[in-house]
Amino acid sequence: MFLQQLLNGLTAGAVYALIALGYTMIYGILGLINFAQGEIYMFGAFVAVLLLGAGVNFFLAFIGGMGAAALLGVALERVAFRPLRGSHPLVPLISAIGASIFLQSLALLLFGPNDRPFPIQFTFSTITIAGLPLSSLQGAILLAALGFMALLVVFVRYTRYGKAIVACALDRDTARLMGVNVDRMVALTFLIGSALSGAAGIMMAIYYNATYPRMGLLPGLKAFSAAILGGVGSIPGAILGGLLLGVAESLGAAYFSSGYKDAIAFAILILVLLFRPQGILKGRGD
Amino acid sequence: MSAYLLHLAILGGIYVILAISLNLIIGYAGQVSLGHAAFFGIGAYVSALTSLHLNFPFPLAALSAILFSGGCGFLLGLPTLRLKEDYLAIVTLGFGVIVDLVFLNLEITGGPDGLAGIAPPRILGVSFRAPGMYLLLVLLAVILTLILTYRLVNSYHGRALRAIRDHEVTAQVMGINTPAYKVAIFTLAAALAGMAGSLYAHYITFINPESFGLHTSILALCMVVLGGMGSIAGAVVGALALTVLPEMLRQFKAYQDLIYGGLLVALLIWRPEGLLGKGKLSLKFISRE
Repeated sequence: MFLQQLLNGLTAGAVYALIALGYTMIYGILGLINFAQGEIYMFGAFVAVLLLGAGVNFFLAFIGGMGAAALLGVALERVAFRPLRGSHPLVPLISAIGASIFLQSLALLLFGPNDRPFPIQFTFSTITIAGLPLSSLQGAILLAALGFMALLVVFVRYTRYGKAIVACALDRDTARLMGVNVDRMVALTFLIGSALSGAAGIMMAIYYNATYPRMGLLPGLKAFSAAILGGVGSIPGAILGGLLLGVAESLGAAYFSSGYKDAIAFAILILVLLFRPQGILKGRGD
Repeated sequence: MSAYLLHLAILGGIYVILAISLNLIIGYAGQVSLGHAAFFGIGAYVSALTSLHLNFPFPLAALSAILFSGGCGFLLGLPTLRLKEDYLAIVTLGFGVIVDLVFLNLEITGGPDGLAGIAPPRILGVSFRAPGMYLLLVLLAVILTLILTYRLVNSYHGRALRAIRDHEVTAQVMGINTPAYKVAIFTLAAALAGMAGSLYAHYITFINPESFGLHTSILALCMVVLGGMGSIAGAVVGALALTVLPEMLRQFKAYQDLIYGGLLVALLIWRPEGLLGKGKLSLKFISRE
């Protein structure tokens, strides 16, 4: 029972971690919260579901969903963030909230209010390892999420563009003096963060077999809590925070009260901000 | 006045109080609260519960609502107001979600069914059950709120708050106790929202968690931004506009949130001072860079 809950938590946590990576990268480079991250997650899932419904092969649909999420992220940066750079921090924050409501209700109009099941039914077997029933769906989601994270870490550490993004996050003006095209790096950050969120959305759509316009709201907020828990601006922090939060939520729901499951993430968030605002792995929070 | 217009006027008045209280936090102190509906809800539930279970007369129930919401605002603000704007936004949003879940899960709040049969107010033997009378009561509350907030923002304390909004470090250097001011204004705003909640509960006479969720917090935010952050008159206009417009545009109801969301972004890009911000209090003039 405990191990089963732990595994459920890790699966959800891996998905939170993927979204949290988007938050943390964008926060790192622009110092602002992209409130619409949850809607990008939802949008990725919807595009994948629609593509699958049109008979596209699963892997192409997955890539299509990620690509659509990435494009939406870049468009969002151009429309809702770039014109407001340099204004009071409240302004881009509220603008992002506006964008989030806009996208959510747009999805409601385009896709309707009902849950859509995932078009393909995977026949996943349950493997029993040491008496613990491990669903191979959970295993696949965990593996895929960890794979994406590894790819991101390699990209940021070892490629030219990845290093340029880190440079912009450290000091935008100096990076510009060194010949880094900052605007392009900001767009690239939105592109990558949004693609990861899109992937997270598709995985959750498979896991819960449901896609609906408000599906991004809570995972988006929880992933942000995860990013702060790990230390906002830190990539390993986002991964650690996501996994921890998923586990805490799953165990809390099992042993404390399932009615307050969604409150656990926020309670943790408030406690972290009060006692260790820089997060577990020191981020850039203050 | 037709019954329908009266109904709109009463709701409009209640939202005016809510929007003014949120504007104190956003427009004057430069902080953001995305969980303002939680205080509105706390006020409504406390008022309803005290009058249902303890048989409190309306003035006492409303006073409990004001004190309790204010107390919650104080307790939330004390530790969190030292956080930066965007963290504060998330914390208040989380607070809103938690309070919503508490309403939904507690036995005493009636869970998803909410509370019904809340008595309409009766003060000194005069019943305010009739909509016309209720409108008078709401107007009285609105006028009180207006006097209080106008006096406040045009006083020494109001200037101190604006200094905090414009540049917190400078304000501190000038000897303003910024944490105390922020907590005080947050408490006051929560108390006013609680009063609005009490008025709402005794007017509708039925409340459930649905009226106090994230949607209401965002609606209040839209009212403030539309009317103009840092303008009391703006909050009044914003609240009335967003109470009346949805009624006039009933056939576009499906597009309502789409319009609100788009409106927020468009306003911030092209007219960040809102309808009545006049520029002098607009956020355009506040740049940290």
